[in-house]
Amino acid sequence: MIFNSIRWRLQAWHGLILVVVLTGFGFTAYQVARDNQLRRIDQDLDQRLMALLRPQPPDRPPDRPRDWQPDRPDQRPEPPLNEPRNERRFGSSDFLRRVREAVQQGGLLDSSQTNIFYYVLWQQDGSILARSPGAPADVPAPEHAMPPRPQAFPARDALGRPGPSEPGPPMLPVARTRGQIREVFRVMPQGESILAGRSMAPDLAAMRRLALWLMAAGTAVLLLGLAGGWWVATRAIRPIEDISATAVKIAGGDLSQRINAADTDSELGRLAGVLNSTFARLEAAFAQQARFTSDASHELRTPVSVILTQTQTALSRERTSPEYRETLEACQRAARRMRTLTESLLELARLDAGQEPMKRECFDLPRVARECVEMVRPLAAERGIQIHCEVPPLECLGDAGRIGQVVTNLLTNAIHFNRDQGEVRLSARAEDGAVLLAVADTGQGIPAEDVPHLFERFYRADKSRSRIQGRNGLGLAICKAIVDAHSGSIEVSSRPGVGSTFTVRLPLK
Amino acid sequence: MRVLAVEDEPDLLGSLMKALREDGYAVDGAPDGEEGLYKAESYDYDAIVLDIMLPGIDGWELLRRLRKTKKTPVLMLTARDAVRDRVRGLDTGADDYLVKPFELAELLARLRALIRRSATQAQSRLEIGEVVIDTAARTVSRKGEPVTLTAREYSLVEFLALHRGKVVTRTMLYEHLFDENDNTLSNLLDVHVSNIRKKLGHDFITTRRGHGYCLESSP
Repeated sequence: MIFNSIRWRLQAWHGLILVVVLTGFGFTAYQVARDNQLRRIDQDLDQRLMALLRPQPPDRPPDRPRDWQPDRPDQRPEPPLNEPRNERRFGSSDFLRRVREAVQQGGLLDSSQTNIFYYVLWQQDGSILARSPGAPADVPAPEHAMPPRPQAFPARDALGRPGPSEPGPPMLPVARTRGQIREVFRVMPQGESILAGRSMAPDLAAMRRLALWLMAAGTAVLLLGLAGGWWVATRAIRPIEDISATAVKIAGGDLSQRINAADTDSELGRLAGVLNSTFARLEAAFAQQARFTSDASHELRTPVSVILTQTQTALSRERTSPEYRETLEACQRAARRMRTLTESLLELARLDAGQEPMKRECFDLPRVARECVEMVRPLAAERGIQIHCEVPPLECLGDAGRIGQVVTNLLTNAIHFNRDQGEVRLSARAEDGAVLLAVADTGQGIPAEDVPHLFERFYRADKSRSRIQGRNGLGLAICKAIVDAHSGSIEVSSRPGVGSTFTVRLPLK
Repeated sequence: MRVLAVEDEPDLLGSLMKALREDGYAVDGAPDGEEGLYKAESYDYDAIVLDIMLPGIDGWELLRRLRKTKKTPVLMLTARDAVRDRVRGLDTGADDYLVKPFELAELLARLRALIRRSATQAQSRLEIGEVVIDTAARTVSRKGEPVTLTAREYSLVEFLALHRGKVVTRTMLYEHLFDENDNTLSNLLDVHVSNIRKKLGHDFITTRRGHGYCLESSP
């Protein structure tokens, strides 16, 4: 299922996060813009209210609307201090009259959108005292028009500003929204309330445009983000896909494939390195297995071809008795060779499978050594080779028969690969809780490149002599398997032209 | 036809040589690569049966070195049947490939085919005028009547037929019809030719005095 792939899952999470972040951002931006706009409207309305309420000499022209800047209090419209004090008092009949007139004129501040502003002035009892021409008829009186609360305003200081005994400035502005209309009102100390209002229709339209713009921009950013995410995910996943493609090829049987691990320091590079070394080991194991099978089949096929060819030739016409005899002898040789080979292979297989339990008993090493030497002495005598047995009295732990087999095998090899009139030396000593058994010859030695492969199955260092001597290339492999089963080790050291020494180490525990 | 068998397994080499000899070939044997290469380079064999796993110089190496100087058809024998080995054998210059253990009949048939191909003769039936030679059955007939030839006579006829239209020297005949162990006197060749002429007609073999013998391509 493609949607279960890491890339798709990454993309889904990425998309989800993007949507959440963008929605949050857009919503906040919209809210901030809306609040700002409302505050601006409220300030504008309140400024217009204050312009109405500010005592002004009749001959002065109305103030131009100025932006109210709270951070610059020096620009705050402040009534001039040199005016008569009663003129500045809120609630005086003169003041109220002037405000009423101003309301009826439609406000003092002009604007390009004068028609959208309206003003309403109420008496203490909620009855309308005045209204501007554009005011809707159904403007409700401020319900929470509060009774005068002079104590709510701080006392003025010694400079003669209004104190608690005097009616203070109008109460703080209160804003409300009715449908698409925004209204700000103030309650004067004597209980009259005055309201400025305007329609928010153009502002709401602007907000809708902003919302649409935010949505469009958000969608664009989302798409861009998804595309970018897809690109990043593709880049990040490419090495994984390389690995998986290589693994597929390897699973398909091509073990020579390797992952291209160019960036070995990254996490995936390290993984690729580990996998590559695993593949290499796997390939080596397979190659060894294939070589073994190939070698085994080769070794088995050769005697079979001898038998087939010999018998077919013999049967192709009438033969004399000595000819038949010759054929039968050749067949017998071939059959014997196959017997040895199959026995060796079976023995190796049993050793590999651990089906050949090794006895663990103390035995007399010198006796076993002597028996082995006696067994191979006729073979050595044929070529005038001297065998020296230098085994001190030692107790050894293990399977006497199996150890004897190893020693015999090593001795036979030492004789085979020796020169005529050469020497074979079998020695033993105890060392570090183990018995070391050494078989040294005076042969040609083993080429250094062959030494690491010597214990491999069917490996033959000297390919020219092996077949003639009827050895199948499994002897040392069997030796190694037996020694391994004893938790021991077998090693070889060789000096070209001087001879080779095989050393078997058998632990005594 | 003279062939060389290179095989390190003595019993196999022995029976192989015996079988080939009984099939009418002059056969030389070599038990290892070095001797095999020496013989293969020294004589113009009609074919070589070559084992791959040889002590000393192995079959691959022998073939590689031989191919530098000679185009002798080579039938490789091996106990390994991996495709890779077969491909390698054919690529190195082997002309055919046979996996051990093989049927003797197949080996002989492949060898015949190899020799025929190297003489650019696609069929096993050769027709020279009224004489028909069947190289597969090793029989000769004249005007539809079978003619009985000795093995040596047949080999001589076959060799001349495969080199039809060319002059075959006496040396060539000695090299190709007799192996290294034969002590045939030169006049024996004349005896064989005379016998063949008696059986297949006097004009069948032309004598080119001072050169050798020849089978006319269109008598």
